[in-house]
Amino acid sequence: MHFLELSQVNFHYPKQEKLALDNINLEIEQKSITAVIGPNGSGKTTLSKVMIGVFPATGGKILLQGDPVSELSLAEIGRSIGYVFQNPDLQLFCGTVAEEIGFGLINRGCEPDRVKEKVDFYLDYFQLAEYRNAFPLHLSQGEKQRVAIASVLAAEPEFLILDEPTIGLDTYRKKILEGYLQKIACSGRGMVLISHDMSFVNRLADRVIQMENGHIVDDGDWKGNNGYDA
Amino acid sequence: MTLDPRTKMVIVICLSTLALIYNTPERLLQLLIVTVLLLLLFRIDIRSVWVYLKRFLQLMLVVFIIQCFFTRGGEVLLSLGSVELISSQGFLTGASLVLRIIVVISAALILTTFSSRDFILGLVQWKVPYELAFMVTIAMRFLPLFRDEFVNVVTAVQLRGVELKQVSWGKKIELFRCLLFPVVFGALLKAQQLAVAMESRGFRAYPRRTYLRRLDFILVDYAVMLIFVTVTIILIVY
Repeated sequence: MHFLELSQVNFHYPKQEKLALDNINLEIEQKSITAVIGPNGSGKTTLSKVMIGVFPATGGKILLQGDPVSELSLAEIGRSIGYVFQNPDLQLFCGTVAEEIGFGLINRGCEPDRVKEKVDFYLDYFQLAEYRNAFPLHLSQGEKQRVAIASVLAAEPEFLILDEPTIGLDTYRKKILEGYLQKIACSGRGMVLISHDMSFVNRLADRVIQMENGHIVDDGDWKGNNGYDA
Repeated sequence: MTLDPRTKMVIVICLSTLALIYNTPERLLQLLIVTVLLLLLFRIDIRSVWVYLKRFLQLMLVVFIIQCFFTRGGEVLLSLGSVELISSQGFLTGASLVLRIIVVISAALILTTFSSRDFILGLVQWKVPYELAFMVTIAMRFLPLFRDEFVNVVTAVQLRGVELKQVSWGKKIELFRCLLFPVVFGALLKAQQLAVAMESRGFRAYPRRTYLRRLDFILVDYAVMLIFVTVTIILIVY
């Protein structure tokens, strides 16, 4: 059984006739690192949102560990898949950075000591300790991105989908993120990376899917630049 | 029907004023029929009215139930032993409030038959300061964006594993405080950024604005406005 399975998936936005995703067939394994690349407007983010049920597919079937995504609540999907939005402003909603990172853990019933331990770890790892009590939306774009990633990783989901995770990060912080994602991959948890950062994709992904106009135009092992110039 | 945007604004004001003044279901139902006929006349798809009304269904239901249970008078329609639960007066008040909401929302849809540019132009030609007219348009344009932002935050919370339908009321209130935070902050931030963007593009650089286009009343506009204003005044007085 595949972790995620999409068969003949179509999607169009309300009041639009053009398909944003057209006949997508895809199987994703839990332990793989899959990158989705493609020009702006090719359907990468739409695909990721359809995968996790934020946008209900207008046609076809999506299975998450064998269960139809359409029959699962967002919370159930969120417990299996951690999703980092392209725009961190959309996913930061707590009063402080520490609360933001601990939010998922508290809501899953983690003991306060365990929550504190994990929050401290992620604050240190992503160099956010000095912002522990800061209001997340007051931070810079790069800092917000780090908080968003840390708050999703802290909940230790089985699988991750990261939409443009390197946006706003400097080279040093990109390396830190890369190191952490590699550590996650080594622990048997896979991910889907949506990115224009080809060197980041090159170093991490073992499978690259290229999209154009809502279609998958290439799907294979990463062997360097396959013509798409980000 | 092609009417000047200002004439349509007058129609909406008349319908909304009557909806606020009338307080019997019969009168409000008559007003709703007139509103629906006007919507058809303006070629507004009635199904789109339902799409807008659907969003207010919960609010209407809550208003109706509260009125049913807390307004006393008339015959007792439902009682539990000696405790009077729903009275005929409560039922009628609830029905009136629901009809009032429906009329106001339906009438407001007439404003969607012209562009925001025409809306500003109409207000400015009525001597409303341009800044004020622009602010009203911006507010109208940003409302759906705030709704989308709220939906995004709710989605983000759920994706962190929170089953909103299953959490207790106490927890729900705490969560909604969380949800309002980014939306209010985002609104303030957007307003600030918008102000900077507008000023950098020369907004209010000159005290007087000129317009390429002008809205001109024709005879039909005067006639329609006169009829609506007169009828509204008569209905209010009598």
